[in-house]
Amino acid sequence: MGLVTRKSLFAIMGLCAMVGLLLLPIVMALPSLAIGEEAPAANAEKKEGDKVEKGRDVYYKTEGIVMGAPAPKTVDGPRDYPRYNFESRVLLWFANQQHLYYGSFVLAVPIFCMIIEFMGVVTKDKALAKRYDQLAYDFIKISLTAYSLTAVLGGILIFTFLTLYPAFFGYLSGIFRPVMHIYALMFVAESGTLYIYYYGWDKMKEGFLKWIHLSMSVVLNIIGTLLMFLANSWIGFMMSPAGVDEQGRFLGNIWHVIHTALWNPLNLHRILGNMAFGGGVVAAYAAYKFLASKTDEDRAHYDWMGYIAMALGVAFLIPLPFAGYWLMREVYAYRQQMGITLMGGLLAWLFIIQATMIGILFLSTNYYLWQAMGRMRGAEKYQRYIKYLVFLLACGYMVFITPHTMVMTPAELKAMGGQQHPVLGNYGVMSAKNGGINVIITTTVLSFVWYMRGNKVSTVSWAKFGNIFMGVFFACAYFNIIGLAVYGYYIPANVRVGLSVPQVATTLSCLFFMFALNGVMMKGAKQMGPIEWGKISARSQYALIMLATAFTWMMGLMGYIRSSVRLFWHVNEIMRDNSPWAYTHTVGFAANMISFNVLFFWVSILFVFWLGSLAAKKAPVEAKAGVPGAVPQPAASH
Amino acid sequence: MKALMSLGALVGAMGLLLLAGMIFDVVPSNTVRLVEGYMPMQMLIEVACYVAGFTGLSFMLSAMGMPMPRFWQGIGFWLFFMLYLKFRVYPPIPFSVRAMYGTVSMVAVFMWISASEEDWKKFKQPIMNVLDAQTGMNKMMRYLYLVLIPILVGGFSYNAMVPKSEEPVELRTVHPAPPASTKVHGKTYVLQTSQSPYRVNPEGKYDQEYSNANIVEQGMGRLMKPNANPWDDKNQGYLKYVREGGEIFFQNCHFCHGDNLNGRGLHAFAFNPIPANFTDPGTIAQLQETFIFWRVSKGGIGLPNEGFPWASVMPPWEQHLTVDEIWKVILFEYWHTGYYPRTWD
Repeated sequence: MGLVTRKSLFAIMGLCAMVGLLLLPIVMALPSLAIGEEAPAANAEKKEGDKVEKGRDVYYKTEGIVMGAPAPKTVDGPRDYPRYNFESRVLLWFANQQHLYYGSFVLAVPIFCMIIEFMGVVTKDKALAKRYDQLAYDFIKISLTAYSLTAVLGGILIFTFLTLYPAFFGYLSGIFRPVMHIYALMFVAESGTLYIYYYGWDKMKEGFLKWIHLSMSVVLNIIGTLLMFLANSWIGFMMSPAGVDEQGRFLGNIWHVIHTALWNPLNLHRILGNMAFGGGVVAAYAAYKFLASKTDEDRAHYDWMGYIAMALGVAFLIPLPFAGYWLMREVYAYRQQMGITLMGGLLAWLFIIQATMIGILFLSTNYYLWQAMGRMRGAEKYQRYIKYLVFLLACGYMVFITPHTMVMTPAELKAMGGQQHPVLGNYGVMSAKNGGINVIITTTVLSFVWYMRGNKVSTVSWAKFGNIFMGVFFACAYFNIIGLAVYGYYIPANVRVGLSVPQVATTLSCLFFMFALNGVMMKGAKQMGPIEWGKISARSQYALIMLATAFTWMMGLMGYIRSSVRLFWHVNEIMRDNSPWAYTHTVGFAANMISFNVLFFWVSILFVFWLGSLAAKKAPVEAKAGVPGAVPQPAASH
Repeated sequence: MKALMSLGALVGAMGLLLLAGMIFDVVPSNTVRLVEGYMPMQMLIEVACYVAGFTGLSFMLSAMGMPMPRFWQGIGFWLFFMLYLKFRVYPPIPFSVRAMYGTVSMVAVFMWISASEEDWKKFKQPIMNVLDAQTGMNKMMRYLYLVLIPILVGGFSYNAMVPKSEEPVELRTVHPAPPASTKVHGKTYVLQTSQSPYRVNPEGKYDQEYSNANIVEQGMGRLMKPNANPWDDKNQGYLKYVREGGEIFFQNCHFCHGDNLNGRGLHAFAFNPIPANFTDPGTIAQLQETFIFWRVSKGGIGLPNEGFPWASVMPPWEQHLTVDEIWKVILFEYWHTGYYPRTWD
């Protein structure tokens, strides 16, 4: 009986309510699905003897009974494209982008909370555990305000669709009717779970109840991820439609409509992207607070917060280029035309800008880590080698951003003797670029390894051997990555595309094996001194702000690229865009629009942060950062 | 260690002298040749050697009691890199790309000189000294900058605004996206799924691996695979069609695309840009065979909107060649360059 306290009863009730909310959409959606599937059967019976019209799936090539209307053939006019005296596409772009920014943020932050709360639960240092718990709580508090804003922006987005693109949205909602209902109901479940999770924080802060609370965050994230998958199915359908015939008529299999050629790569790419973005935003928040701090204690706290957010964000940033590569590979495999438009044709320059942004992300991360070594005694021994890391990063970066289509005057073109430069032309293709980005990521891993051992000296008997082994391992990794990049020029394209696998495997081997080996070597290592949280240069915090801004800009850019690759199609090769805005914007206009979206997001999120700071603060944590002995020690905080 | 650094210093000094010679046109850029086929790696290795050389030089100067200030190390390395790109690499690199590389190298130099607080202080010191103007020399420098900086900004502004007679920059799309299908001689070809009817093995079946195994080992037809000579009359299937494609190429295409398929034919330099260089890994090696089929058939006049500014004078070859001849000539182009068409299997 002792176990069944009021608190546990409350927790169990909360959990039941949460599970109920989770199941509600499925229960509610069943009749909707059933109606959709039964109707034609009934129809078929009624018209027994009549010919049942069948269609062929444009992607799966299977036959199915036609169950929907064809995609409307729109005409430019107030019926299909009602408008204000302004470009409707730009309004939609703005609404969509803002919703996506906030959506990404509120999907990412609960994942961080889950990880940080878990770290707090398992860590043995009680002071540190409280700090983790406080940090997770602060995160979810911020995301709660952002969550409301996400819902509001979602509403604005739907109204924009309904009022400016009624024909297109009507067609899309006709196809995705059951999915949209499930989506809406899951949103309800997400909200319920989030509120229970947030308001139950204090009630469930210890013992078994804490584990229940933690498991609620898992459920919350599962719902959030499923929500995103469903939303991804719409954009996947617009890019690579399936489950419909050539006229766009639904063929009765909703799974085909959801599971299009690009759905899975989009899902993976967006999960990783959201996480990296969320980490960046929180890190920028911490950096801002650090720069505005008046006391050493605050500086120490926000320095630590920025580091944790950056580390989590970068953990997801590292595999992001590989997920992107997979997505592009699938795009090429789906339509050669689409792939060339993206990476060799009309949008190729936007990809160069994207590569520049990716490079900025990794450079900022490395720079932050080098600066962070400045707050450790003993890390000086690595400082003189940093120039070689800079060299590797710069070479990898320059290769990575070399354009295939160069901008030049006709005079320069003539002087070069043709469109292809014999030296730089080789950097402008995928084989070299894969090598470039893998060199950058491997160097980032090396920076992390140095940071992790910054203030320590290994005491294991095989330390010397371990160090040599690590050095040789990294040298072989660089050799392998560059060697494969060069080898890529001598083999068929389909094999060359496959070479990215050993290159990625090399980079990931460095990440996992070297982190693990370093961890073992540094167990019980001699400390040269504590990490002096808060004693970090202001430049490092600007690097964090740069990291977050680059993430935001890149998200906007990639969203635009992904969307504009459909060119003049609402739904690729199924429903044509006949509005006056079916053309592709110039690079300059797109860049300005993306910058505006980024600026708006940052201004609005500052407002959200300000709102968060207005809320009553929780009781201060006893063990504050900056107090000797209370700060997280390197072994635990890494 | 000292010996190694001395060697590095020697390399650095020699490299700098060589570069100075190239800048002042005493030594031609191709004195140390950029070797065809190895140029991209050669350039990276050269820069790496310079970095090693500068490290050695810096070490030796410090050992001799004449350390080079961090400020001048940073500025000096960045200047070196810009001059290297401008005077060492040939053919000349377009300004837009040099600007990109210049920005990256500037960021890299900043990362290097500000990686530690101590280095950053050393780097800032000369700037702070001039701003503080505690000595007569620094005071003079400050006045000099006060005059020079507005003049420089004014000069740049004037240069940007002054009307020029140069042709404007063109953002040319080298490989515009092809249509989903193309109609040639009355038949529609779906580019995603069509295949060359002549990429076949001796049994007459489509065989990508067989044809890949029989292309030249080294680009530009310089080294043929053993027993894979297309000019051997006994050969059937793929190699026979390569020979026929070669005949068509030399009757129709080589005037512009050149004997070695490198875009330097007899008439090539009448055009700007010159015709596509098939030996470059950025052209046919990146594309599906059907893409080339579409481009050859439709020519420059058939380029889509995306192909702005449509700077291609290639005739629509469907008006002069049969479908079979187009497929064969493409087969020859891949064979001769040693590249494989892009596939997605």
